[in-house]
This record gives sequence, structure tokens and C-alpha cells, in this order.
Amino acid sequence: MRVETGRCLTCGDVAVAARVEAVEGVEAVVSANGERERVGIDLVPDARTGEILLCHAGIALERLAEGSAA
Amino acid sequence: MRFVDEYRDPVLARSLSAEIHSLVTAGEVVRIMEVCGGHTHAIYRHGLEELLPPEIELVHGPGCPVCVIPMGRVDDAIAIAETEGVTLATFGDMMRVPGGRGSLLEANARGADVRMVYSPLDALELARREPERHVCFFAIGFETTAPATAVTLLRARDEGVANFSVFCNHVLIEPPLRAILGTPGLRVDAFVGPGHVSSVIGTDAYRFIPEEFGRPIVVTAFEPIDLLQAIVMLLRQRAEGRCEVENQYTRVVRSEGNRRALDAIAETMVTREDFEWRGLGVLARSALSVRDDLATFDAERLFALPGARIEDPKACRCGEVLTGQIKPWECGVFGTACTPERPLGTCMVSSEGACAAFFSYGRLRRPREEAPVGA
Repeated sequence: MRVETGRCLTCGDVAVAARVEAVEGVEAVVSANGERERVGIDLVPDARTGEILLCHAGIALERLAEGSAA
Repeated sequence: MRFVDEYRDPVLARSLSAEIHSLVTAGEVVRIMEVCGGHTHAIYRHGLEELLPPEIELVHGPGCPVCVIPMGRVDDAIAIAETEGVTLATFGDMMRVPGGRGSLLEANARGADVRMVYSPLDALELARREPERHVCFFAIGFETTAPATAVTLLRARDEGVANFSVFCNHVLIEPPLRAILGTPGLRVDAFVGPGHVSSVIGTDAYRFIPEEFGRPIVVTAFEPIDLLQAIVMLLRQRAEGRCEVENQYTRVVRSEGNRRALDAIAETMVTREDFEWRGLGVLARSALSVRDDLATFDAERLFALPGARIEDPKACRCGEVLTGQIKPWECGVFGTACTPERPLGTCMVSSEGACAAFFSYGRLRRPREEAPVGA
């Protein structure tokens, strides 16, 4: 799960909305745009399966309300 | 699962475009600066300028973290990478930024061990996997990216990873905005604020813009509908005689920001006395460094760095592009000596950079430049 094609991987202001598939300790397996990735949930420690998280640079920054997008 | 379709609805986009047209007076010029490189990229990618009346001029701001890193810091990173037994890990675009001694990619070709990562946590994992090497993460980015570095430093500390460090170049959004707002003869009437930086610092952080400088700001996300809605909100403020901070990105951003992320940054980093920015010069209290109690993870204390200040190439006008004084195509080397394949300046490196975005999506359409003044 990376940013869309053509967008900068580095940019400090690009993040991706991804759904939590599984929570494993301080990390979660999330998926978006058909890709799966492991992200740190240190900043969203109570993340649950099914929730949508805003992910950037390998960590989840925030949770999003259902039906919304980044 | 894309989560974005409703924010690219063409019917809604046309409706917002019509409202924008109705909120401007023929012949006037309203200059709106989008602070964030992600917005610049979205504007060109989706052709949003085509939906705007000629009275609205979008000005590109300093919010591309790759673009604001001065050449001297790239040379410092190269010095770290060239140290025996050291692996330097960084984001992909940072590898292509030219310093005084070439780029990190070129240093890699000369034999330095430079590796691309997507996350500082990946760099920490490299350190765990290769205990015989020292892994240094070249950290850049605004407040959006600083939390990832902070979390990584906390994990490294808690796990006692002894062969890991951070070359910290995280920057803060407020000082460059103040620098731009304090420019004599400022030609910006309103601001579109960065969405994800704001998810960390909160919208209250921008109150100084209307209160001290009399300019409105709307924090927004990155899809076409978001950006058009932000412009509508700015124009409505103007029509109703208001000047305030508004939040279009309510699905993510809160007024107070993200306390956990801010605490993680505060636990691992402190504000520097000053920091050099490309195009803006040295700005006081504008960047972060690793805290004293994490000194063993601070590359600036572990390595002897050149620390040189290197002038940009004379032909490169990144500084003026970054501060909205000129458009990318007004730089003499745009698209000729400076291209995404062989960038001379940082604005052409990152796809969020105004020059690269314009080169990629808009270089054949420059209606404003061709229109006679006063027409």
C-alpha cells in the first residue's frame, strides 16, 4: 500500500487511507488500492479490524470515520 | 477499495466551479497560495485550473519537504553514507536531490551503501537484520512525517538498538508561512492549508494567519472536490467579510490536532535554534533535532559532518518558485537544463515540487502567461 502512481513517496503531506485487516501488537496489517502492508499503530493503539486508518511513512496517524476518505 | 470516488464526482466539481465563478468579479485577481506540494500536484494532475475563472490565480507554496532541503544537508548525508560500515536509508526522492557533490544516488554508484525505504521503521528493521552495520535514517518531512521518525526512535530506544541513528531534518510549517506572510509586497490573498500536517498539528495552529496577517486559510484534503470546496469556502469568507481559519477536512483534521503524535515528537525531538531552508534562507526555530537524552541515536553527534552552506546554482530559481514569486515556467532552465530526469533544482525532483508537477501535467497550457496584462 503506497501512494498513488505519480505521487511523491516522500511528501510530508501525502497519506493513504487503508482498512485494518488484522491487529498484531503495535502493528496492523492494512490494505488499500489492492495492496497489503504492515504499519505501526503506536499512535492509534486501540485500532480495530475493519477500521480505516490514515497511514503515512509506515505508521497510522489517525482513524477515519466510516464512509470517508483521505 | 479506493475511498476517493465521491471526491472526484464531475457533476459536483462543475457545480463548485460555477459557484467559484459566481463569487468573483470580472477583472479582479484573487491570489490563493496552496501551501502543500500535495495540493500543487493534485491541482495539475486533475487540471483544476481549467475549472477556475481567470480571476483566480493559484500560487504554489513551500510545502514540499524535498524541495526545501538545502544542498549542504545533502552533502552531509553523503558524508554519512561514505563512512565505512554505514548504511544510509532514506525516502526515494531524497536520493535524487543534487547536493554540492552530486546526489545520494551518485554516491551509491561510487560505492556508498544508500538504500531506499518507505518508512523509518524499515530503516530500523535494516539495523536489526544487519547488526554488523550502522544504519542511519536520513529523516526529512514536515509534521506529518515527524511522528513516524519519533515512533521509530522510541522503538529503537526501548529495544536498545545500538547500531541505528537518525539524521534529523524535520521541518515545521509555521516558520516558512510567517516568512512568506512577512514578505514586503506580499501578493497572496488567501491560503489553502495542508491537510495531513494539520491532522497532526490541528487547525488552531494557523490562527496567527488571520489574526496577525489578515489572511483567511482553509485546511483541506487532496481530491479535486476537496480543493474546489476549499476555494469556495475562501471566497465565501471574503464575500461575507470574514477572515478566519476553516476546516474543510473534517473527516480527519481536528482543531487541536493529534495529541499522541505531538507527544511522540516532543518525547524525541526539540526545536532547533535555526535551520537553513532552500529559497527562504535561515529561519529561526523552524526545524527539529534529536533530543539530548537520545544522543546515541543522533547522527549529527555521531558523525563528523561538513555542515557547509552551499549556494544554489545561479540559473536555478527554486527559491522564487517556493515562495510563489514566479511560476515554474518563468525560470530560465525549466524544461531545458532542468527536467525530472536531470533536475538542477529540488522543485524538479519530487513529483510534489511545483516544477515537476507543472512539467508532468501542464507544460503545454499556460493561458495566464499568454493573456495580455489588464485584459
